[in-house]
Amino acid sequence: MERPRAVSESVASTIESARASASDRSTPAIQLVRLRKTFGAGDGTVVAVDDVDLEIDQGEFFSLLGPSGSGKTTVLRMIAGFELPTGGAVLLDGVDVTQRAPFDRDVNTVFQDYALFPHMTVQRNVEYGLKVKGVGKAERRKRAGEMLDAVRLSGFGNRRPTEMSGGQRQRVALARALVNQPRVLLLDEPLGALDLKLREEMQGELKAIQHDVGITFVFVTHDQGEALSMSSRVAVFNNGRIEQVGSPRDIYERPTTSFVASFVGTSNVLSAALSERLLGVAAPHTLRPERIRVVDATHVLDDHDVAIDGVVDDVHYLGAESRVRARLDDGSVLIAAVPSDGLAALIAGQPVRLAWPRRAASAVIESVVQPEQQGENQ
Amino acid sequence: MSKSNRHARIAGAIGASLALLLVACSSDSKGAATSTTAAPAASSDIPVASSDIPVGSSDIPVGSSDIPLSSSDIPVGSSDIPVGSSDIPLGSSDIPATDALTTLGKGEGELNIIAWAGYAEDGSDDPSVDWVTPFEKDTGCKVNVKIGNTSDEMVQLMQTGEYDGVSASGDATTRLIDGGEVSPVNTDLIPNYADVFSQLKLQPWNSKDGVPYGVPHGRGANLLVYNTEAFPTAPDSLAVMFDKTAAGDAAGKLSVYDSPIYIADAAIYLMSTQPDLKITNPYALDQKQFDAAIALLKEQKALTTQYWSLYTDQQTALDSGTVLAGTTWQVIVGLAQTDGAKIAAVKTKEGATGWSDTWMISSKAKHPNCMYMWMNHIISPEANAAVAQWFGEAPSNSKSCALAAAGFCDDYHAADDKYWNDVWYWTTATAKCLDGRTDVKCVPYSEWVNAWTELRA
Amino acid sequence: MDVVTVGGGGAPARVSRFFRRHRKASLFATLGGPVAWMLLVYIGSLVVLVAAAFFKIDSNSKVTTDFTTANVKAAFTTGSFVDAIVRSVLIALAVTAVCFAIALPMAFYIAKVAKPRWRRSLIVAVLLPLWAGYLVKGYAWKSIFTPDAGKFAAHKGGGFLEATLGWTPGFGKLAIVITLAYLWLPYMVLPIYAGLERLPPSYLDAAGDLGARPFRTFRSVIMPILVPSIAAGSIFTFSLSLGDYITPRIISGGKEQMIGNLIDQLQQQNQALSAALTLWPIAIIIVYLLGMSRLHAFESV
Ligand SMILES: Nc1ncnc2c1ncn2[C@@H]1O[C@H](COP(=O)(O)OP(=O)(O)OP(=O)(O)O)[C@@H](O)[C@H]1O
Ligand SMILES: [Mg+2]
Repeated sequence: MERPRAVSESVASTIESARASASDRSTPAIQLVRLRKTFGAGDGTVVAVDDVDLEIDQGEFFSLLGPSGSGKTTVLRMIAGFELPTGGAVLLDGVDVTQRAPFDRDVNTVFQDYALFPHMTVQRNVEYGLKVKGVGKAERRKRAGEMLDAVRLSGFGNRRPTEMSGGQRQRVALARALVNQPRVLLLDEPLGALDLKLREEMQGELKAIQHDVGITFVFVTHDQGEALSMSSRVAVFNNGRIEQVGSPRDIYERPTTSFVASFVGTSNVLSAALSERLLGVAAPHTLRPERIRVVDATHVLDDHDVAIDGVVDDVHYLGAESRVRARLDDGSVLIAAVPSDGLAALIAGQPVRLAWPRRAASAVIESVVQPEQQGENQ
Repeated sequence: MSKSNRHARIAGAIGASLALLLVACSSDSKGAATSTTAAPAASSDIPVASSDIPVGSSDIPVGSSDIPLSSSDIPVGSSDIPVGSSDIPLGSSDIPATDALTTLGKGEGELNIIAWAGYAEDGSDDPSVDWVTPFEKDTGCKVNVKIGNTSDEMVQLMQTGEYDGVSASGDATTRLIDGGEVSPVNTDLIPNYADVFSQLKLQPWNSKDGVPYGVPHGRGANLLVYNTEAFPTAPDSLAVMFDKTAAGDAAGKLSVYDSPIYIADAAIYLMSTQPDLKITNPYALDQKQFDAAIALLKEQKALTTQYWSLYTDQQTALDSGTVLAGTTWQVIVGLAQTDGAKIAAVKTKEGATGWSDTWMISSKAKHPNCMYMWMNHIISPEANAAVAQWFGEAPSNSKSCALAAAGFCDDYHAADDKYWNDVWYWTTATAKCLDGRTDVKCVPYSEWVNAWTELRA
Repeated sequence: MDVVTVGGGGAPARVSRFFRRHRKASLFATLGGPVAWMLLVYIGSLVVLVAAAFFKIDSNSKVTTDFTTANVKAAFTTGSFVDAIVRSVLIALAVTAVCFAIALPMAFYIAKVAKPRWRRSLIVAVLLPLWAGYLVKGYAWKSIFTPDAGKFAAHKGGGFLEATLGWTPGFGKLAIVITLAYLWLPYMVLPIYAGLERLPPSYLDAAGDLGARPFRTFRSVIMPILVPSIAAGSIFTFSLSLGDYITPRIISGGKEQMIGNLIDQLQQQNQALSAALTLWPIAIIIVYLLGMSRLHAFESV
């Protein structure tokens, strides 16, 4: 990535005043208190957000991660003010803004579809927020120009949004939001429409910009890799509730619920019964595939190892590593990620023994709704 | 793209292309058809009429039948609205002739006619009003009726050559005769013709050079209708229509018949108010007389609230009291009075315009025998009485009155020759003055059309 | 035969191969029919119409084949004709303005405010009057406008407006504008509704997010985006009004003549002049369409 150093410095200077006013670091930037949102009435009522409590600190890069329909967008829209909560409160910098209209909140949003105004040039799109606030023409022009510089789009000011690529539009949307120096920037899957390479590039860029301007980012995504690599903290949503809040490392390595375990990366979940048999604890456990080894039936186990026999269902070759699906005698399935060399003999229907260190399995709470095996192919 | 989106796009595409032609086509759909109609081939012979009915001259003030027709070019000028008529010679030598039928053959089984609404009822409007079905039964001629809404439309339809005959008013007949659209009629083949009021026979609007071109159907006068509340003492003068003071409450609430032929009404008023114009026939106006009539009509605009062409429009306006006086037909008066309208009607002392309709046979008739049978049927006492009562006009057959409701013929002055003496039946103005003057050119009807359009715009 | 069958594949394959090689031919085969039809019917009738303006009319109102420019000259220089044109254009513009003023909030309500499940019914309701007869609607409005003629009337009270408001525009130009606006309103509502429907809700959110209050959002975001839709709608309302001749006849009792009335009247009596007068609306509509296409009316509908 060839992002020049000067660029992020210029963003930093543009946003400086915002940072200065946000000096009181002890008040959370955002507080959600028993936030609730339902759609519809009667039998068709959908509980989109179910009593969510959350605190997001000043300057955090905070991700809302969860499967489709889990309520992430709805939470974001309530923070922005596009949606009125059915219950609970939204506090920005300690101030209750629950009933305020969007134009009365010091937050800005980057929309999933960017929502750039098609009848305005890029320059005028970026200037729009300033113009509405009554900033003079010269000042407006200058700040918008700086912001376009910052997102590496200087010279594109006179184009229309339709004449730009997806990545460029995404950066215009970013510039249009940031030029207002908000206390909080909300981003709803801003990279969802980009191809993989561009997405990775923009991930780095977004993170750098956030680092430079220091304002709070709330970032919605259903891509766990994106959430883990960019965020200071992550909240995992499931069915309108938060399953777990924590650093990416916590989330990945110490999932507290079976849902988080299987949604973030691929985890095997051992049922309570199986756990009791193998581990002596009657609670569900998760087990990362990469911790499982495929061993000979003759293999002598260490004291701290656990093993179980099964039958190979399927071998999935992924290059250096392969994924072996084995069916256990109780009918459940375990997936093991093993180095591809030395697996030549493994074929479907073959009996096999799986082993892992006792410590590798950690106890979790059984989630009400499990994700539909969605991390499996990642 | 959503479904409604796509619909909107399609609608847009169609709409855009249609928009251009909307205006263009809405009012000239017949342009293509008629512009290709071939002009009638000129033929020199005028058929000798087989009728032995004497050319009856009478005291009817439209006495042009005994004036020799000249075939010289009569240039018409002065208005800037072009009429192609000026260099088309008028005269007998140009009338394309078809011989009248000499013997009546068997019916062809079908008949296509153009009629005023109410002239050819087959019971579909009112089951008890039906003189078409008996005709079909008697003759085996299946009748197809095309309603003509105006004289001009009737002329245009006749020019297509698709029809066997038409019930033409006097403002259409001359054009049909001179244009060669209709043939002379052998009245020997129409037994009921003998009973037609002689006052109606061989008139300028239904004959040429003493040769009958059709059979008279019925007649009516254009009356002055007035609101009895607005005129406690009944008016008797056309001044109500043209003079602000005489109009009184009705000033600004007049209803005028919307046709170029209405210029004749103004001319009749001028005959009594401006005798120095020397108008002797309201259909024979030289340029000066014509200009005076138009000037009068321009003043009348300020007094007028309605120009009617559909009789129900005037009827509604009389009912609601938004019109307090106007030119009307007897039939409207009857209908409005039934509605409860506070109105009465009178034939004005200056005289009045009127109409005498004529059934004519097309020179291109495909079913001439059926048309002859129809012409005989429609002026039979039974049918003639029925039509006259249904439509509201005076019957043409003297024997009809005996069959009509008591008092009907009196109301309509059917047999009252004196009543009709100052009725100027609609006649098509021609460049050759209908009043016999040869020292001036008169303004032909095509000029009347243009002047009227300009006046109304 | 031998030459063609080289490579085999039979007739269908040969045909498809032919079209693949000759793109233009394939384009022609698919579009040729409709385009020919367009040319013949649309352009053809227009040409006939224009040509008719140059024919002379004989004294029996028959069209002759003699050439003259007098009709066109009269159509474009006669004072009262020009007056009628000006009147017609003003009425058509007024109708368009009224339609716009009513259609905008109506379409906005249907597209953005009403519950989605009501939308379909509301659109149907807007379109419903189009199924009613044109004359019926004209006469209905006439009766609504009828003033109270007091003792002169057969039945007291006048029309609906007089009875409820004690006021009526009478049978003049205002009444014509109202009636035409009623008649053509759906043609303005539909494109604006379609435009709003297409307008992503996120634009409105974005404007609010950037600090714009609702009216500002409406003025600076919604309106500019709707311009092409409004232009498209106005093409309908303007051209339908400009060419109308039945409404002015019914409502004003023939007193207020629009260009269509003159054309209609003359079309039986002097076809050539009638055709010449038709050049007016054709020219006006072309100018109008060109103007609207600059507002992207044709791309957006
Ligand atoms: N306007 C609405 N009306 C009715 N239901 C809604 C509405 N908006 C959202 N929902 C419902 O609320 C739930 C949460 O939706 P939300 O958009 O917040 O999910 P999400 O986590 O953002 O999903 P995705 O990743 O697919 O964007 C879903 O079941 C959705 O169907
Ligand atoms: Mg979402």
